[in-house]
Amino acid sequence: MLILVVDNRGQYTHRIYRTLRNLGVKVEIVPNTSPLREIKRADGIVLSGGAPRISSGDLGRSIEYVREFQGPILGICLGHQAIAIALGGKAGPAEKGEYGPVEIYIDKPEGILHGMGGRMTVWESHWDEVKEPPKGFEILAHSENCRIQAMGDMDRIYGVQFHPEVVHTPRGREIFDNFIKIVKGLI
Amino acid sequence: MDVSSIVKEKVSEIKQEIGDGKAIIALSGGVDSTVSAILTRKAIGDRLLCIYVETGFMRKKDEEKVDKISRKFELKLKKIDAKDKFLREISGVRDPEEKRRRIGRLFIRIFEEVASEFGADYLVQGTIAPDVIESKGGIKTHHNVGGIGKPNLKIVEPLRDYYKDEVREIAKFLDVPSEVIEDMPFPGPGLAVRIMGDVTEEKLEITKKANEIVEEEVQKFGLKPWQAFAVLMEGRATGVKGDLRQYGRIVCIRLVDSIDAMTAGVYWPPREFLERVCSRITSEIPEITRVLFDVTPKPPATIEFE
Repeated sequence: MLILVVDNRGQYTHRIYRTLRNLGVKVEIVPNTSPLREIKRADGIVLSGGAPRISSGDLGRSIEYVREFQGPILGICLGHQAIAIALGGKAGPAEKGEYGPVEIYIDKPEGILHGMGGRMTVWESHWDEVKEPPKGFEILAHSENCRIQAMGDMDRIYGVQFHPEVVHTPRGREIFDNFIKIVKGLI
Repeated sequence: MDVSSIVKEKVSEIKQEIGDGKAIIALSGGVDSTVSAILTRKAIGDRLLCIYVETGFMRKKDEEKVDKISRKFELKLKKIDAKDKFLREISGVRDPEEKRRRIGRLFIRIFEEVASEFGADYLVQGTIAPDVIESKGGIKTHHNVGGIGKPNLKIVEPLRDYYKDEVREIAKFLDVPSEVIEDMPFPGPGLAVRIMGDVTEEKLEITKKANEIVEEEVQKFGLKPWQAFAVLMEGRATGVKGDLRQYGRIVCIRLVDSIDAMTAGVYWPPREFLERVCSRITSEIPEITRVLFDVTPKPPATIEFE
């Protein structure tokens, strides 16, 4: 099994790599300008975070990957917003940014948030947010200042606004565990 | 993590990279440069020359640690006193990035001089993954990474894929003294980036003392933050010491909690610690009339101020 981390030049790209590696899967970091056929070798892809604003963010070919890649996709921060834009949802500036520790409320402990009910503290670093999920997507979690902290098509495409890859998101590892299970067809 | 095979692999990679060439490395007393030096020593023996550059921005204990390491691991060590050069180089510079760049460039000039005397073509550096990532992302210029102009030397960075906690594991395996492994990270440009605005000798003395006090009290209170330090702020604040008005300097205390420096939370010390630090700083450093405590995580702040 191979997971590719698409680098949108976020600061934590290497952390995504490291978390997955520590969970025992084969993983590589690839630039977000890689040709689609490069991406298609993967069994699942993770779209990293990146430049602080979606309008200025250099998404490379991330939008194309979301539309064309047939396997499981996990978008993080900017990657989560890219999923919304690619599939007909909306993303843009929030009224308030979120930085550092934030409490989120899990509305639906399924899919990428499988087995993770209730509240949990996550680490955030964003100003933009998903305004409207793509059609057919469900909202899985929210926070006081952000309505869509996690969303998914409940099949193979999920996005999270926060950063499960940093050590300050205590239960972040479970999210990657869930993603691996989704790739393996266990969730 | 299988440390013993990582060590074997890195040593053979360095051997291959440097071949029969010679290399230099600057030791700072920190765990990254220490581990890089030991690995390189294993790979190329005494074709490695270690240097310790006294920039004037280092702490007393840094040199002591370097002495201890070089003795224990039989590293060839050359010390260079460049205090005046560094202070002159950044005199009057207020912009933090410019400060970092100038310090980096002077380091490079010194490295090139030493390398040419020793006949080395390679510069080994203790760069670790977050340094590479922050420099690439344009957050901060790290003195380890080429962001500061390229030296005429080939760069070898054995630890560039590893994080601090992994480097510490490798260090333990190599039997590096625990005070080096457990010591808090210290920035490459040293105290120069803990002085907001321009750096003068007077400000350096104040900052050195304030940092010593913070570190001593962290030890006494048995606290275990990732980093704990004092920053000399720009500007002044009114104080009253012994019924006399004093328009004095301001220091800010920062304690953070982290594992890899990529994100950091505030490390909340007990109130008694803050009281003690405040009382010592204001009584032992006459220029200071005000002590602040930073409550910002990373993000949105970075760990260091500049």
